[in-house]
Amino acid sequence: MSVLFAIATGIMFGMGIYQLLRRDLIKAAFGFYILFTAINLFLLAAGAFEGTVPAYVDEQGRVVGGTSSDPLVQALILTAIVISFGTYTLLLSFIVLASRRFRTVDSDEIDDLIR
Amino acid sequence: MDNPLFIGVIFVPLLCAALGLLIGRYRTLQHLLIFGGGVIAWLCSLLLLAANFESGVQIYRLGGWPPPYGIVFVADKLSAVFAAMATTVVMAGLLYTLGCKDKCVTYPAFMPLFATMGVGLSGALYTGDIFTLFVFIELMVVSSTALVAVSDNRLGLEAAIKYLFISAMGSLFLLLAIGSIYTTFGTLTIADIARKLATGERPLLAQAAAVMLTCAFLLKSAVFPFHFWQPDFHTTAPTPVHAVLSSVVVKVGVYGLMRMVTTLFIAEAPVIQNLLVVLGVIGIFFGSLGALRTYDAKRMLAYSTFGQIGFILVAIGWGTPLALVGALVYAVNHSFIKSALLMLTGVVSSRTYGKTATKREIGGVGKGMVLTSILYLLGGMALAGIPPLNGFISKVALIQGGIEAQGWLALGLAVAAGLITLQYMIGTWSLLFQQPPDEGVKAKPYGDAQYAPLFLISLCVIFGIYAAPLIDVATRTVADLGDPTVYIRAVFGG
Repeated sequence: MSVLFAIATGIMFGMGIYQLLRRDLIKAAFGFYILFTAINLFLLAAGAFEGTVPAYVDEQGRVVGGTSSDPLVQALILTAIVISFGTYTLLLSFIVLASRRFRTVDSDEIDDLIR
Repeated sequence: MDNPLFIGVIFVPLLCAALGLLIGRYRTLQHLLIFGGGVIAWLCSLLLLAANFESGVQIYRLGGWPPPYGIVFVADKLSAVFAAMATTVVMAGLLYTLGCKDKCVTYPAFMPLFATMGVGLSGALYTGDIFTLFVFIELMVVSSTALVAVSDNRLGLEAAIKYLFISAMGSLFLLLAIGSIYTTFGTLTIADIARKLATGERPLLAQAAAVMLTCAFLLKSAVFPFHFWQPDFHTTAPTPVHAVLSSVVVKVGVYGLMRMVTTLFIAEAPVIQNLLVVLGVIGIFFGSLGALRTYDAKRMLAYSTFGQIGFILVAIGWGTPLALVGALVYAVNHSFIKSALLMLTGVVSSRTYGKTATKREIGGVGKGMVLTSILYLLGGMALAGIPPLNGFISKVALIQGGIEAQGWLALGLAVAAGLITLQYMIGTWSLLFQQPPDEGVKAKPYGDAQYAPLFLISLCVIFGIYAAPLIDVATRTVADLGDPTVYIRAVFGG
């Protein structure tokens, strides 16, 4: 299962980096979001299969419910999703403003326009 | 054991920002409320610094959870010094905003965003948990990007998009590094990671995490291969924001690197430090030469920051105790000098009709502004390192460190670059305040208020004439950094 996760994370990383390097700002913003999801997947894989002993134990120090997965990474992912969502929204709103101001979302053309 | 002063530094300004958004319609009230929050944060951080020197490392456990499980705020001497510096400059920035005539200052969200940027800054410096560090850095990045995007300068939007892309990439790699560290050591508390790293365990993933952390911090402080966004982003920012960005926000990366080489990755430190010396020297040269040949007085100071961060990195790279004292003194002094100079440039450029600082339009505008002229000259001399100002003290501390570390090549280059600093500062000073204005350039009778630069320049003069306390603080900080168990023991309360 963790091999599948590794392959999926790798593919998403590749997609994200490729998109991020496009000239079109909207596609680059998509690339940013794909990359963030890839990292969330990596965090999930870190906790789900080979996590260390979870923080929640009973009075005798035993792990509750056998080999449960690590709850902390899920909390991290939740926080990371909120942050990435906020950043992504801000980025898209900037791109909307730029497209109104410059009449294009091609980063090279914007670069020419501001010179 | 929990010190409630952390609430004053982090939660009070955050609360003021939230309340400020609600009363956005009453602008004066909102500005005063948020400035009050900034002053409280400043006083609390100074008290934390004092408490540190009286009774050792101060901590605050959020919700009372013990450290490896809960989030903990830690103010050891390094954090406390950096945070005291940061809140001082943020407070001065808020003070400048009160008297600023820019249009963007009148937007109801401007001051709250400024406050959250300051909270992100001091939170990132105080936190003892690397995931919380990521959250605070993101808070800082998002607020500062929004502030630059609404700038009066129309190029601000483009610079903000560029910065948000690059900085988001940096944050992604920070998150990846955090994930790798958590996978390896099963903990996010800095003290716990340091304890586990000290046992000598070195999985490959932890080394990859060290590389990614170094890159993320280099990107945050705009060091050589990651610096391309910095001049554009800083130049287009509104003046008070520029003053904070160019002086203390770039220091978060410096703080992170210092924390890495002294607390976390001590075994890998020589590799990181060699890298820092090389990148620092490149930064000194690119920055100084870039500043010399620029067409804009604000952009010149942005390039200059790039060079000055190089000096600090070189000193961290030398890594001897004396060099680290130099780095710390340099970082504190540079923050005050640079923010003051930026505010003074802003004061002058607020009197031009185009509100720009391009040398063509700003030349001679400051003629007749006696106080601004004197303050700018003092700041310029401090930046170049001329006695009796604080820049001289930091240069001396740095050079002593270099002689002790025997880094002759880097030292020679650093001294040569100092002369270039003198050249461009004096050149710009005479351009702004001495030469007669160009044909058709007219100055407005009123501009921004200059209480904030007055405050910062007086700090520069005080720290130049009476430097003993600052040197003493830096020496004791570095003495503590030499023993990472001080930090670890304080967090776990043993």
